[in-house]
Amino acid sequence: MEKYGIGQPVRRKEDVRFLTGTGTYIDDIKPDNVAHALVLRSTHAHAKILGIDGTEAENMPGILGIVTGKDWIAEDFQPMPTKSAVNKKIDGTPLNQPPRHALAIDRVRYVGEPVALIVAETVSQAQDAAEAVEVDYEELEAVTDQVKALEPGAPQIWDDIEGNFCLDFELGDKEETEKAFKGADHVIKLDLRNQCVTATPIETRGAIASYDKDTGKYFLQNATQNVHANRDTFAGVLKIPSEDLHHVAPDVGGGFGAKNSGYPEPSLLLYASKKIDRPIKWISDRNESFAADTHGRDQATTVELALDKDGMFLGLRTKTIGNIGAYCWTVGPFTPTGGSARTQGGPYYFPAMHYTGIAAFTNTMPLDPYRGAGRPEGSFQIERIVELAARELGIDPVELRRKNLMPADSLPRKTPMGLDVDTGNFPEVFERTLKMSDRAGFAKRVADSAAKGLKRGFAIAPYLECTGGGPKEFAGVKFARDGSAALRVGSMSTGMGQETSMPQILSDRLGIDFDKITYVQGDTDATPIGGGHGGSRNMEVGGSAVLQCANEVLVKAKQIAAHLLNSNADDMELSEGVFTDVKTDQSVSMVDVVAASFEQSRLPDGMEEGALDTDTIYEREIISCPNGCHSAEVEVDPETGSVNVEHMWVVDDFGTIINPMLADGQVMGGIAQGLGQALMEEIIYDEDSGQLVTGSLMDYALPRADSMPKMEMAFFEDAPTAKNPLGVKGSGEAGCCGAPPAIVNAVLDALKDDGVLHIEMPLTSEKVWRAIAEAKAG
Amino acid sequence: MPVISLSVNGIPVTAEVEPRLLLSSLLRDHLGLTGTHVGCDTSQCGACVVHVDGKPVKSCAMLAAQADGTQITTIEGLAQKGKLHPMQEAFRDNHALQCGFCTPGMVMMSVALATEQPDLDEAAVCKGLEGNLCRCTGYQNIIKAVMAGAKAMRG
Repeated sequence: MEKYGIGQPVRRKEDVRFLTGTGTYIDDIKPDNVAHALVLRSTHAHAKILGIDGTEAENMPGILGIVTGKDWIAEDFQPMPTKSAVNKKIDGTPLNQPPRHALAIDRVRYVGEPVALIVAETVSQAQDAAEAVEVDYEELEAVTDQVKALEPGAPQIWDDIEGNFCLDFELGDKEETEKAFKGADHVIKLDLRNQCVTATPIETRGAIASYDKDTGKYFLQNATQNVHANRDTFAGVLKIPSEDLHHVAPDVGGGFGAKNSGYPEPSLLLYASKKIDRPIKWISDRNESFAADTHGRDQATTVELALDKDGMFLGLRTKTIGNIGAYCWTVGPFTPTGGSARTQGGPYYFPAMHYTGIAAFTNTMPLDPYRGAGRPEGSFQIERIVELAARELGIDPVELRRKNLMPADSLPRKTPMGLDVDTGNFPEVFERTLKMSDRAGFAKRVADSAAKGLKRGFAIAPYLECTGGGPKEFAGVKFARDGSAALRVGSMSTGMGQETSMPQILSDRLGIDFDKITYVQGDTDATPIGGGHGGSRNMEVGGSAVLQCANEVLVKAKQIAAHLLNSNADDMELSEGVFTDVKTDQSVSMVDVVAASFEQSRLPDGMEEGALDTDTIYEREIISCPNGCHSAEVEVDPETGSVNVEHMWVVDDFGTIINPMLADGQVMGGIAQGLGQALMEEIIYDEDSGQLVTGSLMDYALPRADSMPKMEMAFFEDAPTAKNPLGVKGSGEAGCCGAPPAIVNAVLDALKDDGVLHIEMPLTSEKVWRAIAEAKAG
Repeated sequence: MPVISLSVNGIPVTAEVEPRLLLSSLLRDHLGLTGTHVGCDTSQCGACVVHVDGKPVKSCAMLAAQADGTQITTIEGLAQKGKLHPMQEAFRDNHALQCGFCTPGMVMMSVALATEQPDLDEAAVCKGLEGNLCRCTGYQNIIKAVMAGAKAMRG
């Protein structure tokens, strides 16, 4: 059993089907008689819809129906409310929330907003008809930048929401922080942007909806990260009971947050499938995904750091304005407010902190969580200001960080932001990262780079983040007579490997053959509740539910074993799949116990056949704090401005590691997305027209194999958290927190002799070249 | 409509195809070989790579009609008699896939690279995979897998 136990790099169960082309992604499903849908989207950033004429289109070959906002309103379908945990302004009044319908009703507010659904026999016919739908727009002035949107005189996106203001938020002690700044020897200030990016899973979104008129139930197959919450959202839109909508996610080709939210398309498909009495399929194309998948980050921030004469941190003050696009979407307003506030200051000891966040509406695709949702922004803010402080004060940036890290003996500690940091050892993780980074060889590598006309830089970036997402999770196990077990869990993998790691926990705890455990996720009929994935919660909450479930099975299994051996449950010990009576040495296998659980004659009184089948719900009380440290070495070509990230070293404290191979995968994947944001990715809207400039993979750059550095990873496993029974802290979002500041600061280190103090992400060769040129020109 | 004859994973196929039909659509929609994935509409992502007469081709960038008379191998045709191809095995051993969506194209491209350059080094792998995007793995394990797979293919 040990081979498949907790802590082992078990090869993945799901790989065989993915490697042989037999996975089932949404576009691989072809129901009989399926019709195809196309979403006609707004071509304007801001315009009134004076009318939509679909007469010609409706009469084109193969067209089965066209749904517009007028039809939608006539059906009295409901808007989708935001679920932002921060939902009140500082003055206590509710956030400004415009109604978000699945279709634009009389005005469009971003390029890509759904205007009509066209259903046809084939995709080509729907595309042809889309050309023939006449939408009469009256263009309005648009604003796509959140800072400009808040300025007086900015175009008003919502008539009844003054100044495009959604809400403001503050956290920390304002007075204490002001006091700290007044008494400071040094105050360092930096304005910076965390640019708008998008998750870009390689599988685009898509869904298939159908309606069974005999049962009155809907069936939705959807490339989503979260079947339960979205089922409730879509049912709410259509005004049907949630139990009338069966929502299933097939194999999902990556999510990273962008497949988490309640999108408009599924409700449209569900409605239309009932209307035409056929299943309807919609698959987003890539170009559509850039316009209509939620975007992430996009914060304009001023961060200020107060230090004493010895370089000790006294206070941190952060003011950020986050773009949330044209609507509140699912949890959009949370990211630049509570989402970025919690982990302010990173792993450093701060006596005082104050955070202010504003969420503003603009004429862009709305923003929702993207891998980290606020924590990468917080991490970038603190690491950039610390690096700048070191530069401006002439202190070694490594030394400045080292002396300000929260000491190991300061834990547990509640930070001024209210984050409960229970376990960890930030100085140890920091030193181990430095040690891995081969600092001794750096001078030679700098010289070698210089000999090639290149500049080499180094930076280290410790990070502290936290988990999130739904606190409750379901796990259930059902046994068969042959000893096999069917595990159902409400959390969800969209590639992270829970089909392997969840059975690992069950196998480890119950001694069941790993290969005899099947796994079901992403199905509202299979689990009564489910939080899907988001906020690095899969192992923390889902894994803990599996462990709790296994523990409950074990109690019953011991009773059965004791009954079979005519002894006491308390004397039963399970090892390698065999229960042994510690007193008599008699033994019975788990396989036999499972078989006995199906025979009434072999069960103790009070137990019935199938007694081992167990359903349980685990609830997290306090979020965990994954933390760690990244360092990066880069080479910059001053002639071209091009950056090459040569090497990254990472030590992560994720608490207990269930499967180190999969955890490494999460780190490297996160680094790639962090590197993408640092160097090349950016969603750009044209300032005047509000048109999306980066609408394809030719305009929006993603990291490729040759973009990546050599990555060396290690885990610090000496500080498991007591916040959950597994001791895990969550691993999914860490890479996005550590990599951007490590890479950006390393580039700035390489350019320190050129006097370049700051470059906004992404650090494209053009921007780096310009920064060098501008610094030279003085 | 043109009628084409070709071999797909060793099986002869004759099909009447619209002139505008893409090879990827022929494979996925007409032949039910859904292992070949489509992740973009500008031939950037590489999820749809198949072998046409042994050469790697983005099947979304080739018309089905152009495949007349060719021998095509898709991801479904790579494993033989239930045994994974050494490159598939190397991807599994090295955790070179997560969501699996880019994987078919990535594996087909890698097999082609290792066939063309049996002794390829890491730089050649990176160059060879520049037309294949992965958003999950950070590529390091893919590069490791291709090196290991190429070695196993050499025997």
